[in-house]
Amino acid sequence: MTATLFDGIVQGLQLSLLAVGITLIFGLGGVLNLAHGQFAVIGGVAAKLLLDLGAHPVLAGVGGVVTAGLFGVLVDRSLLLPVYRCRGEDRLLLGLILTLGLSFVIDGYLNYAFSEFSLTFSLPIPSVKIAGIPMRTAGLANSLVAIVVFLVLFAFLRSTLLGKTVRSIIENEVGAELCGIDPARTRMIIVGLAAMMAGLAGITQGLFSSLGTEMGPEFTILGLLVAVVGGVRSINGTLVAGVFLGIVNAFASRYIGAYVAYIILLSVAMATILARPGGLLARST
Amino acid sequence: MNNWPLCLRYIDLVLLSILLALVPAVSAGSPYYLRIATLAVVYMGWTVGFNLIFGHTKQLFLCLGALAGSAAYVTVVLIQHFQLSPWITVPLGVSAATALGAIFSYVSVLRGLGVIFLGVVTLAFSLIFQNLILGLRQLTNGETGLVTRGLGFSLLDHPVAAYYLFFGVLALTLVVYCSVMDSRMGFAFRALSDDELTAELSGIDVTACKIIAATLGSAIIGLFGALYGFYNGIISPSVFSLVNVDIPVLISLLLGGMRTRLGPIIGAALFAVIEEFVRPFGQLDVLVYGVLLIVLFVAFREGLLPMLRQALGLIPQLAIFPTVRETDDRYKKRTLM
Repeated sequence: MTATLFDGIVQGLQLSLLAVGITLIFGLGGVLNLAHGQFAVIGGVAAKLLLDLGAHPVLAGVGGVVTAGLFGVLVDRSLLLPVYRCRGEDRLLLGLILTLGLSFVIDGYLNYAFSEFSLTFSLPIPSVKIAGIPMRTAGLANSLVAIVVFLVLFAFLRSTLLGKTVRSIIENEVGAELCGIDPARTRMIIVGLAAMMAGLAGITQGLFSSLGTEMGPEFTILGLLVAVVGGVRSINGTLVAGVFLGIVNAFASRYIGAYVAYIILLSVAMATILARPGGLLARST
Repeated sequence: MNNWPLCLRYIDLVLLSILLALVPAVSAGSPYYLRIATLAVVYMGWTVGFNLIFGHTKQLFLCLGALAGSAAYVTVVLIQHFQLSPWITVPLGVSAATALGAIFSYVSVLRGLGVIFLGVVTLAFSLIFQNLILGLRQLTNGETGLVTRGLGFSLLDHPVAAYYLFFGVLALTLVVYCSVMDSRMGFAFRALSDDELTAELSGIDVTACKIIAATLGSAIIGLFGALYGFYNGIISPSVFSLVNVDIPVLISLLLGGMRTRLGPIIGAALFAVIEEFVRPFGQLDVLVYGVLLIVLFVAFREGLLPMLRQALGLIPQLAIFPTVRETDDRYKKRTLM
């Protein structure tokens, strides 16, 4: 019971880590990033390449995260420029299609160039006992990374000037611009940051089980689901939604079976969106 | 414009129908090209349905494959288990898809879901549909799918006849679409696609309009889905997956131009051409596909048809396409949240 709960929280944190980037990019740029799962895979592939070059696993991980972040900045400064020139509905649609196209490009290239790819990190100690419950160290390390990232993210958004800028743009882009904030610059930093978090999620997936190049679309869909259940503009909501769905999935797989668990997960996500269309943490529905 | 005789008002559609009707003669006995043309007609039908749902009333359904698939599966499973005639099961399958579409629309309007939220709810439904089909193995034969050859209308087993059948259904669909768009309902659709609040304030029942559009669109998608199930010879989850139905239809609609009557047809035809162009790239086809998608959308943001109209509108004598845009984009202030 408790073990399943912990397992769910671990999975949930992984989901949140993946989804928080979608929330940030949507909140800041009004673009629903359909290539977000592919960012995660890019991070994983870069880490694997560094590992093969003989780099230390931690260094390889950092390298992967940085590569994903740089790629995110590159995408923001090139592909998304025409998107930012539109407003309202046009921006949403163009963003949807261009990131969809980007996800095809990344998937097509990675599946072609790294067809045999799989990233697995193995930790020296496979499992430890905490309070009498055997836990996989991979899961623990994974959660630890996610928790640290979220703490840093919250601290960044609450107390730094840049973080406040970010929150003000999420609140009201035009208003922020009138106060002298440059949305383009902030956006670039945040898209880079979001891509870094996606890359990190891709690498921690390698800790968990293994990461393949074909997992991009699945990551994107899961991230999208979590971000929308959380309310797509709220970072706290994304965190809660990820953990919630992770726990639902863990319990469903434990007690009902892996195949039905996915259907249950999707149904719960659907029901949550319908019950609270403003997001899990919205004050009024 | 409205005083023109009927055949002149719809001259674009008449010309297009003649063009489409000539396709089997041009492809002259090549079953390969005839099959591609037939598939293109199926996608045109789906895109017309999606244009009603997403183009005219802003409801992003990402479960087109699931709608088409549920119609096809209901049709085929009923035939296999109860030995019913396709004349009975096709309407039942189509009603299943219609009911699903109506429910999604009703629930989303009731809960005030924004575009993205409805998109993700229907996306989740698509995945549930896929998993259910995989799981209900004794009914659906899981991943392998069900063989449908010989079960349906015998017309569909003959390539040329099948093409004309789909062409006929498409023509019928377009007639229904045009008569709806020319009725008071059509004006209501245009009004609410401009600004929902203003439409509501001028006495349009936005809820009813949205549900009717989604119901009609889902019925069209279901009908093409059920017939396509027979034509394809096999139905399996992958035939109706997101990648095989929803994404091509979405791209076709945006490529051709939303909220236009010719756009879905041109978009789907162009998409079929692009697919053929990409095929020789083998393993890299997905990459080329993505690049094309990006380039086309950066170049033709509004869709091909509105661009074509603008170009033709410059020459007054040639202005057979209506050039009126409903409102100037600059005055549209709309958040889609």
